[in-house]
Amino acid sequence: MKRRPSVAPLLVALALLVAGGTGPAIARAPGVDAVVTDQAGKPVVDAVVTLTPVGGSPSALRPMPAVMDQVNKEFVPAVLPVVVGTPVSFPNRDNIRHHVYSFSPAKKFELPLYIGTPSAPVVFDKPGPVALGCNIHDWMVAYVYVVTTPHFAKTTADGHAHVEGLPAGPYEARVWHPRLRGEAVAKPITLTEDEEGRVTFSLTLRPDARPVPRREPYEGQQSG
Amino acid sequence: MRFRSFRARLVVVFVGLFAVVLTISLLVVAGFLRAAARGEIGEELRLAGTLFVRQLDARSQQLVGAMRLLSGDFALKTAVATADHETTRSVLDNHRRRIGADVLMLVSLDGAITADTRPSAQRGATFALPRLLEEAEQTQDPTWVVPLDGGLVRLTIVPVLAPDPIAWLCAGFSIDDRTAAELRRLTGLHVSFLRRQPEGFTVQASTLETAERVDLERGLADARKSGIIRIQGAQHVARAEQVAADVLVVLQRPLTEAFAPYNRLFWILAAVGGAGLVLSILGAILVSRRVSRPVVTLAGAAERVAAGDFDTSVSVPQSDELGTLAENFNEMVAGLRDRERVRAALERAERLKRFFSPQVAEVLSAGDESVLASHRREITVVFCDLRGFTAFAEAADPGEVMQLLRDYHAILGPLIARYEGTLERFTGDGLMVFFNDPVPCPDPALRAVRLAVEARDAVQQLLDGWRDRGYTLGFGSGIAMGFATVGRIGFEGRFDYAAIGSVTNLAGRLCQEAADGQILISASVYAEVERAVEAMPLGELTLRGFPRPLLAFSVLSLRAHAPLPAGSSASSGDARGAR
Repeated sequence: MKRRPSVAPLLVALALLVAGGTGPAIARAPGVDAVVTDQAGKPVVDAVVTLTPVGGSPSALRPMPAVMDQVNKEFVPAVLPVVVGTPVSFPNRDNIRHHVYSFSPAKKFELPLYIGTPSAPVVFDKPGPVALGCNIHDWMVAYVYVVTTPHFAKTTADGHAHVEGLPAGPYEARVWHPRLRGEAVAKPITLTEDEEGRVTFSLTLRPDARPVPRREPYEGQQSG
Repeated sequence: MRFRSFRARLVVVFVGLFAVVLTISLLVVAGFLRAAARGEIGEELRLAGTLFVRQLDARSQQLVGAMRLLSGDFALKTAVATADHETTRSVLDNHRRRIGADVLMLVSLDGAITADTRPSAQRGATFALPRLLEEAEQTQDPTWVVPLDGGLVRLTIVPVLAPDPIAWLCAGFSIDDRTAAELRRLTGLHVSFLRRQPEGFTVQASTLETAERVDLERGLADARKSGIIRIQGAQHVARAEQVAADVLVVLQRPLTEAFAPYNRLFWILAAVGGAGLVLSILGAILVSRRVSRPVVTLAGAAERVAAGDFDTSVSVPQSDELGTLAENFNEMVAGLRDRERVRAALERAERLKRFFSPQVAEVLSAGDESVLASHRREITVVFCDLRGFTAFAEAADPGEVMQLLRDYHAILGPLIARYEGTLERFTGDGLMVFFNDPVPCPDPALRAVRLAVEARDAVQQLLDGWRDRGYTLGFGSGIAMGFATVGRIGFEGRFDYAAIGSVTNLAGRLCQEAADGQILISASVYAEVERAVEAMPLGELTLRGFPRPLLAFSVLSLRAHAPLPAGSSASSGDARGAR
């Protein structure tokens, strides 16, 4: 019984916060369902769909700390979309060292051979794709996609991505994928209050050409 | 000479046959060898070509591997990412040395050269072969043989992954004469790289000399069609392998070099054949000698026989046809020898018959001729001739003269033979016959008388015809008996058997004395034939050449009971000649 009085004001405060951020006159849209397929019509996983309002003031960004794990000599997740300014930590959960680096223009950094979690997270302060590699494991590849809008989602294995909590209005929908040829694809979409928005993307992807097999046979499940 | 050539012919036939067989087999073997050699060389080249291409592939794989290692180098990635041009170029040059490449360059993802180890490199220039960048993205074997900077290079392109591709790393390995020489060491074949140009394929790198390269370019079309190319006058077997769209590799080998082992085999065969030929010549000479020896022997014997030597005989101790021929030859020569002996005997007999009666002649011819040697013996000599013949011969025409003589001799000849008289000579109408020599006979005087009587009777009949025609002819005869020297007289080529002594003179004189139809005999003759003949004594006659008159008788006729003379001297038991 003691908890309830403490929860109610918090909810109110949250509601006020949300209402204050978007203005009381703006109504909520049910969301957007984006479908991404490749040139062969197959669903594309790990594509990042972003929605940027057209006109008006840009949405406020609230960077939250994010994590790019290294598990079993793989980056997890393979694609990590974050908003500009997000600090990302790189905990190494393997019992060997990794050497994470990026030469991408959006963020060049290097975490030379380390074990455990580096004390300071890497802050991604410029928008754009950042390709992560491990200098001692060629197959370890992951991407941090730094976006400038809070409205984004990543496609699941069925190629669908759901973006929610959007005010109604005109948007530009974009999709990005690590193997996408050229720039992210943009499509205009207008969201209404009563209907879920739908957008489809058909991407032309490069072949998945990793330099060497992800796992050497003799390494087995080392730290499963 | 002919048989020498017969021998030579044998040798030629044997050796010729052998040579023909040898030549044919050598030609066949040579043909097979050539075909086999061609096949094997073709196969060898095909294998070499396959191996060569594999070798190139393997080398390319090696390079790709090395390139992938290079591209994963963190320093390189760092240099590329930091875009420090000079550092990047230095890193590239260092890495170029690591893999032994001739050129190493970095090409941006949009196809601009960002760093290049070539001295002539222009930064920012467009990569000459953008098509390869696209292919490099797709293929697992990103290596090509391409023309670059006027030469041929093997180009390998791998991405620099950080971990996404941030650039292309291109390594070029020049394909030059040194490369070709290295490949030649590997295959033992001439290696040439040719590149397609607007005017045709040109040699870019090769183990061939300059002039040979020109020949290769010129003959390439033929080489690709037939696999044979003529380089500096020598035939080469060649095989072209396409290693890139516009690049050919031609592997070749001189035909003579390729044929060398086969030629060696051929010459060994030829030497063996030649030795066989020599042996066969020797063998043929031996065999032909053996075969021709009896023939030569027979030929020599035949020549001797032809020259009249019938004592020849040949010895061919063989049981074959030649042996039989030799036997027959010997038999034939023996037959000839016998016939010659008979012929010689007959010839002699013919010769003897001129002087002697056939019977005597036969006796003589069967025995030796020593009886004809000079000796002294008592003989009875008959002379006879025609009276008035000389006048007749002058008056009558020659035909008539010869006719008369023919008839006359035809009467006397058989009589002389019948009484076995020895005709010493005849001179026209006159002739002289004697008895008891050279073969003694039992009753020479009687034989002489009977001869004379019969001759007189026959000749008188003959003469009657001629007398009717008005010619005065007669027949007279004289017979004497006594010792005389008898033997062969004359000279080589013309011998006569003659009796020398007064008895012949006496007979001749008596004949001269005799009138027509008279037969005058001496007293000694008369004494011998007294009982067999009717004779009239003529008293003593004085004869020329005889100092004293001699008693002579004229035979009238033969007594009818008188015994006939024996048919031959052999039938008589009383041989007066032995006296």
